[in-house]
Amino acid sequence: MEEVMKVTSVTKTYGKKGEKQYQALKGVSFTVEKGEFVAIMGASGSGKSTLLNILSTLDQATSGEVLVNGHDITRLNKKKLANFRAKEIGFIFQEFNLLDNLTARENIALPLTLQGLSTNRIDPLVEQIAGKLNIQDLLDKYPAAISGGQKQRVAAARALVHEPAILLADEPTGALDSKSSRAMLDTMELLNRRDQVSILMVTHDPFSSSFADRILFIQDGIIGKEVKKGDLSRQDFYKKLIADLGEIED
Amino acid sequence: MLFKLSLTGVKSRLKDYTVLFSGLAAASMIFYMFLSLATNPQFLKSSGGGLISAQTTTVTFGFGTVLLAILTLVYLFYANGFLLSMRKRDYGMYMMLGAQASKIGQLIFLETLVTGFLATGIGLILGIILTKLVSGLMVAQLGLTLKHFNPLYLPALLWTLAFFTALFFLAALWNAAKLTKTAVIKLLKDDQKPSQIKNRPVLRAIEGIAGLILLAIGYLAMANVEKLVLKALPIALVTIVLGSYFLISATFINIIDFLRKQKKFFYQGMRPFTLGQLKFRLHDYTRILSAISIMFALALGAITVGLNFNSLKDALTDSQYYDAIILNNDQTANKQIEKLGGKAQASYTYKYDSNNARIYLLKAEVEQNPLKIKRYIKNLSSKKSESRTQSGLYETVTVKADQLTEKAAKQGLMASYSAAQLFSQTASRAVALDSAAFAKIKAQSQTVTFYKVNNFAQKAQALFKITQKQEKRYKEGSNEYLLLEMTKPVSYQLVASMCSGFEFMGFFLGLAFLMMLASTLMFKVLSGAASDKLRYEMLHKIGAQARVLKASLRKEIGVLFLAPALLGAIDVLFGLQFFKLLLPNPYSQIWIPFVIFFILYLVYYLITVKLYEGLVIED
Repeated sequence: MEEVMKVTSVTKTYGKKGEKQYQALKGVSFTVEKGEFVAIMGASGSGKSTLLNILSTLDQATSGEVLVNGHDITRLNKKKLANFRAKEIGFIFQEFNLLDNLTARENIALPLTLQGLSTNRIDPLVEQIAGKLNIQDLLDKYPAAISGGQKQRVAAARALVHEPAILLADEPTGALDSKSSRAMLDTMELLNRRDQVSILMVTHDPFSSSFADRILFIQDGIIGKEVKKGDLSRQDFYKKLIADLGEIED
Repeated sequence: MLFKLSLTGVKSRLKDYTVLFSGLAAASMIFYMFLSLATNPQFLKSSGGGLISAQTTTVTFGFGTVLLAILTLVYLFYANGFLLSMRKRDYGMYMMLGAQASKIGQLIFLETLVTGFLATGIGLILGIILTKLVSGLMVAQLGLTLKHFNPLYLPALLWTLAFFTALFFLAALWNAAKLTKTAVIKLLKDDQKPSQIKNRPVLRAIEGIAGLILLAIGYLAMANVEKLVLKALPIALVTIVLGSYFLISATFINIIDFLRKQKKFFYQGMRPFTLGQLKFRLHDYTRILSAISIMFALALGAITVGLNFNSLKDALTDSQYYDAIILNNDQTANKQIEKLGGKAQASYTYKYDSNNARIYLLKAEVEQNPLKIKRYIKNLSSKKSESRTQSGLYETVTVKADQLTEKAAKQGLMASYSAAQLFSQTASRAVALDSAAFAKIKAQSQTVTFYKVNNFAQKAQALFKITQKQEKRYKEGSNEYLLLEMTKPVSYQLVASMCSGFEFMGFFLGLAFLMMLASTLMFKVLSGAASDKLRYEMLHKIGAQARVLKASLRKEIGVLFLAPALLGAIDVLFGLQFFKLLLPNPYSQIWIPFVIFFILYLVYYLITVKLYEGLVIED
C-alpha cells in the first residue's frame, strides 16, 4: 500500500537551551496509508495538539522526519511550507474557522484561488464538492446565517476542494451537538469509503474515534497502544475502545 | 494586587499601547499647535494686516477651534474604543477570577486617566517643538513674516490641558461604567460575535442614485456661486454631506458587489477575501468615511485657500507697471536702486495744482516717453491681449501726449485719470502742456523717475526700505508722501503681511485637520485588528503566504483611505468656486496643496499598514 504520511522519530522540545526545557513529543513514529482513516486519541496535555501542529506544518519538529506524499516537510522553508499546505493538506478545526465576511461558496473557493487555479474551473469544483457534502443550498449564504453543523460541512468542503493528499481534523465535532456530530462523522466516513480520502483525526472522544480504521493512543509524548477495527462493526469497535481505555487508565 | 495585574497587562500589550499612546499624544499635539494661533489675539490682529478686521479672523479661528474640538472628540471616541477593545478581555478575565466589578471600574478609570494625562503631557511638549519647527520652516521657505507669534504660548497650553483633561475624565467614567455593566461573558467573547449585512439591492440602488443627485446639486451650486452668492454655501453644505454619505453607503458597496460577480476577476488569489473584507468594512465605516471625506475637503480647502492668498501678492505686483519711483532726483536712492539692478525707465517733470486737482506734464517729455499704466481687464475671457500679464488680470496700456488734453481731462477720460495716478493720489486728471504753458502754471516743479527691476518679489523688501527713506524727507500727508506711500513696494509690503498671516493660518488649520482625520481613520482601522487577527490566522493555516496576506491588507486599507480622499478632493475642486468671490484665481498652483496632502496622507497610510501588519500578521 502507498503511504500518504510517514512520521519517523519526531520530537519536540519547548524552551531554549540553558533554560528549563519541556519535551512535549518524545519520538513519535507512525504511518497513514492512502485511503486510510486514522484517529489519534489522547487526553489534554498528551502532546496530540503539538503533533497535529507539526503534521500540519504550522510548527516545526525539534528532530525527526515527516513525509507527506513523499515530501519531507521538516526541510521546507516558510514560503514553500505555505505552498505545501495550500496544495497537499486539508484542515478541519474544532471551531469552524470559516471567514465570516465571505459566503460559503467563497470560503470553499479560497484555497483554489490561492493556488491560482484558472477561474472557470473554480465554480465547477466548488459545486462538485458541495454536492458530495450535500450543502449546495447553502453556497450563497454567509456563515452567520447557517447552523454549526452546516458550518462544519462547509469547512470540510473547503478542506477537500483542492483534493489534498490528507485531511487533518482537529476535534471536528468538538463544537457540535450530538446530532450534528453524528452527521459530520458519517460524512467523514463516507468520504473515506467512497472517495478514498485519507484522514487523520485528533480527538479525545472515543465515539468519534470509533469511526476510524485504526486508533493510535498518545500519552506523555509517545504513542503507546494501537487498536485496529478490522472486521468489527462500529458499535462493537466502540465497546472495545471503552474497555481498552479502562485498561489504559488503570 | 489588581493594580499589579493591570500593569502587567499593559506590559504584555506594549505594542498596542504604543499605538494608542502615540495617537493620543498626536491629538493633543495638533490641538495645541492650532490653539497656539487661535488663542493669540495679538497674532490674529497683526495677520489681518489691518485690511481684514480682527473680528473676522477671530470668528474664523473660533469656527476652526469648534470644528477641531468636534473632530478631536470623534477621534478620542475611536481611540478610546481601541483601548476598550484591547482591555476588555483582560478585565473580563479578572472578573471571572472573582475581582469585584467596582474594583475593576476603579482600575480602568485610573488607567484611562493616567494614559490620557501622560499622552497629553508628551503631546504638549511635542506640540511646542513642532510649532517652532513648522513656523520656522514656513518663515524660511515661504518668506512669511510673522508678528507676535510664539511657539510656547501659555493660554494655549492651559486650554489644551483643560480640554483634554475634561475629555479623558469623561472617557474614564464611560469606560468604567461600560466595563462594570457589561456581562463577563460578553467581555470575554465579544470578538466572536458574527457580523451580518442585509442584502437590499433595490434600496441601495435608490440610495446610490440619490447620493449622486445630491452631490450633483451641491457641485452645481458651487459652480454657479457667482449667481447664487451666499446661498451656494448652505445648499452645498447640506447636499454634499448627505450625498457623500449615500454615495459611500451605496455606491462603493455596489461596486464591490459588482466586482464579486465578475468571476474572472474575483477568483484570483486573495481577491475574494479582500473584497469580502471591504464589503463589510465599508458598510461599517460609512459614517466615518463620509465624515472624513468632508473633513478632507475642509482641510485641503484650508491649505489651498491659505496658499492662494499668496496670489494676491502676484495680482498686486501686476497691478502697477513701475516697480519703484524716485522723487526729485534723490541720488542716494538712485544709487541704491541701481545697485539692485533697477533701471530708470523715464523721468517726468510735473506740477501739481491742488486747487484744480490737476497734474501738469511737459508734452515733449510725454511724447518722448509715453506713460505706461496697468488697466484691469473687465471681461477676462473675451480679451486675449498680448500685453496680458502673469496674473492675467491686468493689461499694460500706453498713454500718449495727445490723449492728455484739457478737453479730455474735462470729459473725465480714463487715460487722463490713470496718468494722474502716477504722480499724485489726490489729483484726478493729468494734462500735458507745451513748455510755455507749463511755465505759466503756478506750482512747484518737481520730477519723478520711474524704475523697473527684474524679479520684483525678491527685491520688494529692499525697495520698501529705499522708499521709506525717501518718505522721511517729506511731510506726512503731503502729496509727495502719499505718492510714495502708494507705490508698489509699500502696498506689496502691506499685502504680503496679510497674506502671510492667512497662508500660515490656512496651512496650520489644514494640517491640523488632516492629521486629526487621518489619525481617526487610522484608529478606526486599527480597532478592527482584534477580530481580523483570527481571520489572518485562518488564512495562514489554509496556506496563504505572509507576503500574500500583506498585499491583501495593503489593498484593503488602501481603499479605505482612498475612497474618502477621492470624494474629498472632488469636494475641494468644486468648493474652491466659492472663493472666486474673494481671490483672483483660487485654482492657481492647486498642485502644491494636493502634493502636500498626498505626501502626508501617504505617510499616514503607510504607518497604518505597518501597525496593522504588526497587529494581525505573525511572521
